Order: sequence, then C-alpha cells, then structure tokens
Amino acid sequence: MAPEESIVEPVLMIDGHLDLAFNALHHRRDLTQSVQTLREREDLYRDGVGLKSVHPDALRKQPRIGSEGIATVSLPELRRGNVGIILSTIMARVQLPSGFLADGMRTQAAAHAIGQSHLHYYNALERAGELSFIRTCAELESCATAWQSAAQTKRTLGLVLSMESADPILGPDDVQNWYDAGLRSVSLTHFGANTWGHGTGTQGGLYQCAYPLLDALRDAGIALDVSHAADLTFWQLLDYWDGPLHASHCMCRSLVPGQRHLSDEMIRAVVERDGVIGMVLAEPMLNPAVNFDDLSTAPAVSTRPMAAIADHIDHICQLAGNNEHVAIGSDLDGGFGREWAPVDCDNIADLQKLPALLARRGFDDQDIDAIAHGNLLTFLRRVLS
Amino acid sequence: MDTSKPLIVDSHLDLGFSALQINRDLTLPAASVRVQDPVETQQSYGSCTVTLPDLRRGRVGIVCATVMSRLDPDDRSTRTGMYSQTQCHGVGRGHLAYYQALEQQGHVRILHECSELDQMAALWQRAEVGADGSGPPVGVVLSMESADPILGPDQVPQWHALGLRMVSLSHYGTSTYSHGTATEGGLLPPAADLLKALAEAGILVDVTHLTDQAHWELLDIYDGPICASHHNCRALTPGQRQLTDDMISSIAERDGVIGTAFDSWMLDPGWQRNLSAGEQQSGATLQTIVEHVDHIAQLTGTSRHCGIGTDLDGGFGTEQAPRDLNTIADLQSLPALLLAKGFSDEDVSGILSGNWLRLLGQHWKDSL
Repeated sequence: MAPEESIVEPVLMIDGHLDLAFNALHHRRDLTQSVQTLREREDLYRDGVGLKSVHPDALRKQPRIGSEGIATVSLPELRRGNVGIILSTIMARVQLPSGFLADGMRTQAAAHAIGQSHLHYYNALERAGELSFIRTCAELESCATAWQSAAQTKRTLGLVLSMESADPILGPDDVQNWYDAGLRSVSLTHFGANTWGHGTGTQGGLYQCAYPLLDALRDAGIALDVSHAADLTFWQLLDYWDGPLHASHCMCRSLVPGQRHLSDEMIRAVVERDGVIGMVLAEPMLNPAVNFDDLSTAPAVSTRPMAAIADHIDHICQLAGNNEHVAIGSDLDGGFGREWAPVDCDNIADLQKLPALLARRGFDDQDIDAIAHGNLLTFLRRVLS
Repeated sequence: MDTSKPLIVDSHLDLGFSALQINRDLTLPAASVRVQDPVETQQSYGSCTVTLPDLRRGRVGIVCATVMSRLDPDDRSTRTGMYSQTQCHGVGRGHLAYYQALEQQGHVRILHECSELDQMAALWQRAEVGADGSGPPVGVVLSMESADPILGPDQVPQWHALGLRMVSLSHYGTSTYSHGTATEGGLLPPAADLLKALAEAGILVDVTHLTDQAHWELLDIYDGPICASHHNCRALTPGQRQLTDDMISSIAERDGVIGTAFDSWMLDPGWQRNLSAGEQQSGATLQTIVEHVDHIAQLTGTSRHCGIGTDLDGGFGTEQAPRDLNTIADLQSLPALLLAKGFSDEDVSGILSGNWLRLLGQHWKDSL
C-alpha cells in the first residue's frame, strides 16, 4: 500500500445482499473464522484430496465433493473491509432438487424450517456478540454512526434481515412472526417458480395467493425486493405494490444480456419508486459475453475486475439523472466462490477497494459515499421508520 | 382399519433430519418417497422406511423426534455435523420449526404436558387408521441428539418451553459437553452445569452415544432420571456403541428405559461398516430385536426397562434395517414375536408403549 493511501479513512460499506446463513448451514462454514481458515478447511476436501471420512451411518462410503466454490465471505473479513452493515438472507425455496439447484425443498413446511434455521443461526451469532440485528431506525443510526466515527468506538456488525424467495413465509398470517424476528426486506421469488410466482429463468407472473401476502408485507412494514422476479412478475409487483421497493442485487440488461438483469424500463420504474439497485460482484453478471439465461456461456474463472460495476453505476445514474439509486449488493458466496468473484476481489474485505476504483473512474467523494452507504442508509431509514 | 393392533411408542426418530437434510416429504407414504428420492439420495441414505402415513399404519402413535446437530467437522455428507455451536443451534432450530409447521398443518402434535401425553395415548388406543395411512396426528415428544444446539445452561428453560423433553449430551465425535461414540474420553467441563439445568427444567437425560467413561461420570455427577433412547446390548453385539450389562443395570437402577435400536450395525456382529449396505445382507431380523429386549429383561428380572427406539431413517434405510422390515409399519410384527418369546400380554404392552409412557409421564409430573 502506498503511504498516501494508508492514511485514507476507510469508507463505511453497506452490502445489500449476502447469504451468510446459507453458507454457514448448507456449506458448513463457521463464519466467525477468517476466509483463510474456511479455505484451509475446505481444501482438505477439494478434488477428493484429504480425509475420507463420512457419517458412520451413511451407505455411501465415498463422500460427495462439494460445489460450494472457494470461500470469500466471513465475519472477520466483513469487519476488515469496513462493511459495517449488511442485508443478509433467509434463503430456502420450494423446488424439486436438481443438479443445478440442489438446495430446493420438497414442501413449504421444509422451506419454512430451513428459513427458521437461518434465522436462528443469526440469533446465535448475535448471542455470541458477532453481530447485532437492526430492527429500528435508532439501531440503524447508532450502527452507522459507530462505523463512521474516527474514534475507536465499539463497532458491531449490523444485520438487516432479508429473505430471498418468500417460501419460508407460510402465509399472510405468518408475516408478523417474521417481522417480529427482524425481517425487513423480502423478494417473493428466486430461481424458478415457487409458492408465490415466477422467478429467474421462468416465464410468468405472480400467483393469486401472492397478493394477500403482499398486503401483509406492506402492513407489517417490510420492503419489497424485486430481484429475481420474472419480467411479468416484476411488472405485476410494480402495479400492485405501493410500499418501499428495491433491487438488492441486480445489474443492467442493456449492458449484460439475460432476464436476470433489469431492463432500462425496469430501472426507471425502480428509480421512480425511489428504490435502490445493488451492484453484484459476480462474473456472469458483469461479463457482456455471458448470457445469464444460458450459464454455459460463463467462463470457469473470472475475467472482469471490480471496476466493471462502474459501467452499470454510470448507466443507472444516467437513466436516473442523479446518483441516488445505486448501491452495493455483492452477493459474494451466493452460489459461487472466488472463481466467479471479480479478478481483483479475493474476499469481501476488498469491497474497500471500491472507493478508489470508482474515484479513478471519475466519481467524486459525494458519489462514492452515496454508492458505498448513503443511498442504502436513506432507503433503510424509510423502511424502518 | 384395525384398532386391535397395539399402540407403539418409538423413542428415537430423526424426522427433522430426514425432512430437511435428506429432503423428504414425510407426509407421503414411504413407497412414494422412494420413487421421489434421487439416485444420489438413495445411494447415500438407502430406501425410506419412516413417514407419517407409515407411522400411522404401524400405530406408532407417539414418537420422540429429534433436534439433531453436533460438532463434527469430519461429517461432510449429512449437513448436521458442524464446526461451531452457533451452526448447530441454527440446524437444530430448523428441525424444531419443521415439527411446528407439521403441527400447524395437523400432521403431528407436539406434546408439552403430561395430560397431553395421556390424551394422545388414549387417542391412539382407539384410533382408526386408513389403509393409506390417514388418521390422527402423531404425537411428538421433542428430543435432542447431542446437546450442541443448547448454547448454554441459561438457554435450557427456553428449549423446555419450546417442548424439549429428552436430551443426549453427545452423538458421534466430541460434542461441546461430552465425548461420544467412536471417541475415548469422558464428560467435558460444560456438562455439569448443563445437567443441573436439565434436571431443574425436568428434561430427561438420554445416555445414548456416550462413551463408557462419560456414562459412568454422568451417573456420578447427576442423580436425576435417565434413559437410553436407542441402544442395544454389548453382550449380543460387541462394540462401544452398545451397553454393557453393568450399564444396563445402572439404567435399570434409576428406573430408566432402554429403546432397542434397528440399525444392523448395532444388531449384527458380522455387519461390516466399511462396506455399503448394498454390498452385504443384514444378519438381523425382528427376532434379533426380541433377543436384545429379552437380554435386558433377563438381566434386570423385569420387562419394565425395555422399549423400542428404532432410529430408522436416521441415516440408513431398509437395506441396513432388520431383513424382515420394509417400513416402520412392520413394527406391528413385534407383538407376536414377543409373545412367542414368552413375554406376557402385559409385558408386551409395556415394551411397546407402556414403559416409555410411564417414564416420560412420571418425569414430566416430577417436573411440575
């Protein structure tokens, strides 16, 4: 690090989309450990090298080799990167398990239970002092202030609980329970079609049962995340929903092809609703040669740097006419690992490189603060108040 | 419909694990689950034997269903062996949430009070079950296999309020609280305060999966009621996983109950753990179960410490179960086999349900 860079105060980063609990419980990662430790543990098992033990009762004596990717996210690295506030998910789907998506659950009762396991993992982390839930505006302000103050005050990672695919919510009656548990943002769909409607990779809209759920979410004071909505679902959501809305982790379809990304009309619609769009740090969402609708077009290893998000940020700012609608929603370790993270992003602490990278692309300090934390803070204040 | 079949209590089933980690819809018959299971699942866990319709068909009306997660970094296949207690807590609460969701849908009822246990037993004495396995809700006594999901003694009252009524300290490997199966060592320092809290809350201590050393240490420092939810006799099947005659006597001295387990590894001395179930045939039949029950009865001079705790679908399937068992509904073959062995009607009723109901009820009453 050059001497003049070392005195720069780190910028508070807010990451609008992480799947911490999924990594902890599905990939068995103890996130209180460093990314290096997680990698060392998993290296033992990679490519069939190392220990050969399996559960003693298992019929299969040769363990399966995981497809979890090389870890990039853990709590020490979040702190090191000054990523002081995160939205992190409850994530479970009702979906026939397949080779592509092995984590789909067969019933909603099971998806609910997996969702609850995620919730209680976060609760256990809070009990251990590893993070604090952010449920109110006051908690948001005090967390943001602590991370932005130069003094070495006690800083605790702030968690705003979110949900990716609303299958764990058993129905409108269950919404208040989830709100009380801390839930503040929900995307109805994820990959495929689920209980409530059509998501990424499918053609279709919402099911009828989605509307009473939306009413309950609105009444409870939970924000709507339009990420992973199929096109028709997206527009039906915008027609019906009048509460706070964001796209926690989405890129621009005019820059990278695929239904997973937002068209310019969609971006304008989100902007009109005062929503915020989170930039994703994943090769298939940054490489224009990759069509997200056919992931076989994606290279095995990343080709794009973190600065590739600058084009998307610029595009959204141009459409919006201001810098108020872009944020970070990295989705690191969200179904991929180091191999699909940008080439210059070894782990999530590297989010702290973004301010300098964006400055080099012509964004000024005010822009950078807005993108790094300001816009999501404004949005979250609106949700939590 | 046959209401003449007796009620059976199964003191150890990993239903939550089967539903969430093996990913099975337990509201369907086992035959349907077998069709749904992908090849990968079939290869890892064998053919499904336990679902709610099959429990009902076997009149297994009350079960101890587990919250199951442990510290066990080397377990790479089940997603229940973890690196930290925080992870175990998450997995465990997921199992509980599954039972709660099933309860909301009317498939099961989680039993909190002694009166609820009695009502459920009475309900199942006269319950009508359809050929498709439709019938009353299955009564669930919430139990825990390895206490790692309990983050500290202060969390025990919360778990009790959620319904937890039986806890084993360890499972495979070394848990937070004790050395377990396939390790050497005793209780660990956090065990003492946990045991105290469990006794105060009125939660039964299950000695299954303790090491020999931990078993005796536990009896030294804890004077409350104990049981062995799924455990067989070392005199018949060698190995640390089974109870020595002294251990069986020590459980009987506390008026505990021992549930006989259905894993061929624990029944067939010739079972080879390094081979998959597909590569060998179990030497065990339901008669082998009867022999273990009889051994406990002969040793203690009474059948009051004998019960059934199958552990079916706790990681293995039909291939690793007694040869003459297809699904858990076949537990109804046991009454005739027990009678043939010379047990009286009263004995048989006690072994199948009465002994567990007595111990559970007694203990819950004690806790009031």
